[in-house]
Amino acid sequence: MAEMTYQPTKEDFEFLTGRDITTDQNFASQSYWKGVAIHFLRDRRAMIGLGIVVVIIILAILGPILSPYGYRDIVSFTDETGKEVVAKGVSPQLGLGGDGPFADHMFLFGTDDLGRDLWTRTWQGARVSLIIAFVTIFIDMIIGMSYGLISGYFGGAVDNIMQRIVEVANSVPRLVIVSVLAIFMPKGMGLVIVALLLTEWIGMSKIARAEMLRIKEQEYVLASRTLGAHSMHIIFKQILPNTIGPIITQMMFSIPTAIFTEAFLSFVGVGIMLPQCSIGSLIESGFNNITTLPYQILPPIIVLALQMLGFNFIGDGFREALAPKLEDM
Amino acid sequence: MKKYILKRIGLALATLLLIIFVLFVLVRIMPGNPFPSERMSAEQIANKRAEMGLDDPILVQFGRYMMGLLHGDFGKGTSLYYGAPIKTVIATCISNSFRIGGLAIVMGTVVGLLLGITAALNKGHFLDHFCTVFSILGVCVPGYVFLIFLQYYFSYKISIFPYFFDGSRFLYSSILPAISLSLFTMSTVARFTRNEMVEVMDSDYVHLAESKGMYGAKLVTRHILRNALIPIVTVLAPLVVDLLTGALVIEKIYGINGIGKLMVDAIAGEGVDYNYVLALGILYSALYIGIMLVVDILYGVLDPRIRVSAKEGDA
Amino acid sequence: MKNLNRRSFLGAAGSAAALFLAACGGGSSDSGSSDAGADAAAPAGKYLGVMLGTNVMSLDTDLATDGDSFEVIADCIDGLMQMDADGAAVAGLAESYDLSDDGCTYTFHLRDAQWSNGTPVTANDFVFAWRRICQNAGEYAYMMDEIGNIKGAAAIIAGEQSDTTTLAVNATDDKTLVVELEVPVSFFPSLMYFPTFYPINEEFYTSLEDGTYGTSPDTFLSCGAFQLEDYLPGTASLSVKKNEGYWDAARIQLPGITYQVVGSSDSALTAFKNGSLDVVMISGSQVAAAEEDAELSQNLKVTGAGYMWYLSFSQTEKNAQGGMLANQNLRLAISNSLDRESLVDNYVMDGSLATYTAVPPQFAASATTGEDFSADQAKFDAFIGHHPEQAQTYLADAKKELGVDTFEFTMIYGNNEGDEVAKVAQAIKEQVEGNLEGVTINLQAMTKAERLDKMQNDNYDVALTRWGPDYADPMTYLGMWITNNSNNYGFWSNAEYDQIIADCTTGAYINDYDARWAALYDAETLVMQEAVIAPLYTKANANLISAGAQGIEFHPVALNRVYKSATLA
Repeated sequence: MAEMTYQPTKEDFEFLTGRDITTDQNFASQSYWKGVAIHFLRDRRAMIGLGIVVVIIILAILGPILSPYGYRDIVSFTDETGKEVVAKGVSPQLGLGGDGPFADHMFLFGTDDLGRDLWTRTWQGARVSLIIAFVTIFIDMIIGMSYGLISGYFGGAVDNIMQRIVEVANSVPRLVIVSVLAIFMPKGMGLVIVALLLTEWIGMSKIARAEMLRIKEQEYVLASRTLGAHSMHIIFKQILPNTIGPIITQMMFSIPTAIFTEAFLSFVGVGIMLPQCSIGSLIESGFNNITTLPYQILPPIIVLALQMLGFNFIGDGFREALAPKLEDM
Repeated sequence: MKKYILKRIGLALATLLLIIFVLFVLVRIMPGNPFPSERMSAEQIANKRAEMGLDDPILVQFGRYMMGLLHGDFGKGTSLYYGAPIKTVIATCISNSFRIGGLAIVMGTVVGLLLGITAALNKGHFLDHFCTVFSILGVCVPGYVFLIFLQYYFSYKISIFPYFFDGSRFLYSSILPAISLSLFTMSTVARFTRNEMVEVMDSDYVHLAESKGMYGAKLVTRHILRNALIPIVTVLAPLVVDLLTGALVIEKIYGINGIGKLMVDAIAGEGVDYNYVLALGILYSALYIGIMLVVDILYGVLDPRIRVSAKEGDA
Repeated sequence: MKNLNRRSFLGAAGSAAALFLAACGGGSSDSGSSDAGADAAAPAGKYLGVMLGTNVMSLDTDLATDGDSFEVIADCIDGLMQMDADGAAVAGLAESYDLSDDGCTYTFHLRDAQWSNGTPVTANDFVFAWRRICQNAGEYAYMMDEIGNIKGAAAIIAGEQSDTTTLAVNATDDKTLVVELEVPVSFFPSLMYFPTFYPINEEFYTSLEDGTYGTSPDTFLSCGAFQLEDYLPGTASLSVKKNEGYWDAARIQLPGITYQVVGSSDSALTAFKNGSLDVVMISGSQVAAAEEDAELSQNLKVTGAGYMWYLSFSQTEKNAQGGMLANQNLRLAISNSLDRESLVDNYVMDGSLATYTAVPPQFAASATTGEDFSADQAKFDAFIGHHPEQAQTYLADAKKELGVDTFEFTMIYGNNEGDEVAKVAQAIKEQVEGNLEGVTINLQAMTKAERLDKMQNDNYDVALTRWGPDYADPMTYLGMWITNNSNNYGFWSNAEYDQIIADCTTGAYINDYDARWAALYDAETLVMQEAVIAPLYTKANANLISAGAQGIEFHPVALNRVYKSATLA
């Protein structure tokens, strides 16, 4: 019988669960985020984007407050014969006087078909759309990202089941989901947000999963795992920061989707309830007059386009700042 | 790999069955009435419901529906195009939507890839900014607004394209809607291609390849694009489903009888047409699942690492 | 540049310009004229381009329910009677008819006419079609029993009688159709131009695969002015061509009609200016734009669309804060706070008429005096009108009676029922809230189907809804407010009212036309006095018709557009 060589058993090893393995990273991450901030602030395009978005947010807050008209006020008067004359379809004017019964009113963006001031309504609409977009995108990001990362990380059966759920959720046409939802809650902003929540996280989760599939085989993940890090720790503390680029880009793309979807929902009658308005519903109503009164559709479209431009620039800047490259240092 | 694909196909079919059931239940609790009527008496409507078997237990109804489906029978409309069998109506709409959508996908992807590659290869230079701004415009302006302008200028001001869609001159009359539809795809593809390529171009293995003297088209296609394509395929896949299943507003403006419009008519038209909503829902799901299946398999082709891990996960 | 362009399009009356038009007239009109218009130089070959507001849902008279479908069916199939330019019933497939002394038996004598496959149109084609309508008991089956009062129809429609031969419609020979009614129906001949009463060739129908009738030109037979040329279910464009075998073919001038579904008023206007379409309907600011344009204003023609929009108030306990709207003063307050003139002038804008009567004007004229039933719109001024002060008095009374100071109601309206509806709903909200302190109206938009569903299940407070006349008699409106009528969405009930209506349909007045007319007026007074509904406006259509297109007949009832006398230069 040969000399007994010690055969290590499973019990001889234990995961280093108790050890604080974040020490290193805390230090690293501090300077990492500081670097991100510096990089971001130096990015001229990102700053322009930020400027646009900030200006729009300020106008969305102050525009309706500073306007002499309420967003649902119909501007009208009753003439001597008892007929109501409504300031509908007035093209943009400063109100410096001239011809017409409403020459002394200032309508910077003109008025809509009901004689309401479009300046007020545009910013009111921007406010509603921004609230909807921010709330849904933020929640969707959390849900979609976690879902996609977990699904991609574990792979195998977990991934299979989770992807089947995604397929089921994604395969039911949105209109059906929203129509059914409308039974359980009143129509309006709340319904739009819930409807968007139910459908928009999927895109995010797909991106996150694809990123996870790409990253999880890399050495540092293996190293962490060997060092005994929890799966959740690896997913959210180590892999997540490396997936943030595509996810932020996806967020920036999700904002127009959210706003367009809202417009679509308004179109089929489950969106914002009139006389409340959103950028989407303003585009929708301006669309009915696009060749006769083109000024009606321009303000919401321009605000929408600027918002998108701004968010895209910020997204780009953010993405590049988060993943500093050698050449930038 | 073959075993993996077969297994995936089996799973996809099972998922589809589950979805059909979910849809079946959802459609039956939707608000609205399958027999919207201002003129029929309550008992007339009750008779119609009984005739369609809507009062039977839901599982019985589902079984009956599945039997029909296996024979390729989607039933008839209750409140939409009542007389005609659903499959003939859908067949026409599908062919229109698929052809216009397909055209849009091809145009969007090709132009998007070109823009993205150009931008990435010229990172930080004028061409990069130009391509970026150009592609941002596509996500900033809704496609239907673009179509309205195209229609106004090219069909009305100068009549080089027809004002409405005309099935008998298909290609000619689908150019404007296809361009409008492709915008979003183009922008999305361009932006993702650029971002991914920039990231990949900075990776070690590309630097290695460069240091080995590899350059030009070979480097771009073999090393950069191939890796950059993975997330692009992910974003492209749902877009493809959306494009193929039609764009409601564009179809409405241009007078196209496509499936997007059909879906809205079925849900938000005169009544809630159970059979149409179901048939279109099933179609949509089948397409979606089919394309996701292709994407999953494509991942394997594009990235060997995933292929390996899929195999392991499978074992 | 713009003007020059437009002028050349509008100058299409000249044949040189027509050639230009045919050459660049856009896709839709060309597709239809592929065989008739092979020679584009011949102006006679150009089809009339007509806009449809919605898709044609069905060409089967049993299944069609919408005006657009009815219009296309009526292009292709004739009834026993047809509409003349003034909407009166004149001989169609029936050369003449005899009425028995008791007013209950009509004997129609058919002329020689043939289906497009060459078989003659016989009395049996009517018997077959009408029995089928009763048996299938669809949306318009009620024309057979409730309206037409044809003997035996009610039992078949209710499903109590399965033998359709009990329907008292018989062909005594190929050319003679005998119809027996339960009671005399004074307007029965005018029902005969409604598509529900059109014939279907039995032999052809039974030779087709089930469910395929009317789904393509091959599965549809015509015996009318036009025959189907290009059609698929769900299509956005279709065309009909002149039926050379039509019994009155000499009268038909048009070589054909191309229909195109147009989604918005704005693209309708552009398609018209571009020359793609000859007949379009516009609304809202497009009407304003057309009126301001010197040339377009000459193409503008306002025609009655017939249907009346009104507010329906749910009076049951479960709605409107526990049945608050059962209070008559509250309903009167709302009705009197509305400025209907402002609604039509500022928001609907297509020539619609502000309406102050429960039966809208301009569709039901007395057969003896010829006077419109609702010609005098001021007759109920005591109960309805723009009277803000009066409305406040009503509201004060309502508050006192109900012991409540604030009211909050939800108003439902359809968002797929025309662009103007959302505008009107918002204007009503502002008008009511502006005039009546303490009343709040919340708007809920939904599809028409959902709106109907909510109304039929009595799950609403106030609804913005409409009703179109199916036949030219006030009863098409007044019949709705009797107790338990399925269209009495407010659940108003009044025994006196029920009695008057019963007397007019089956009782004392059926043989005394003038007495019946007077009784209907009494019934209407009751509806207005109690503000059962708040009538708003009677819809009109603002049409743009190209200068070359002449002779199209517009009607508010049954068939909105008839092309039998139309010409296109």
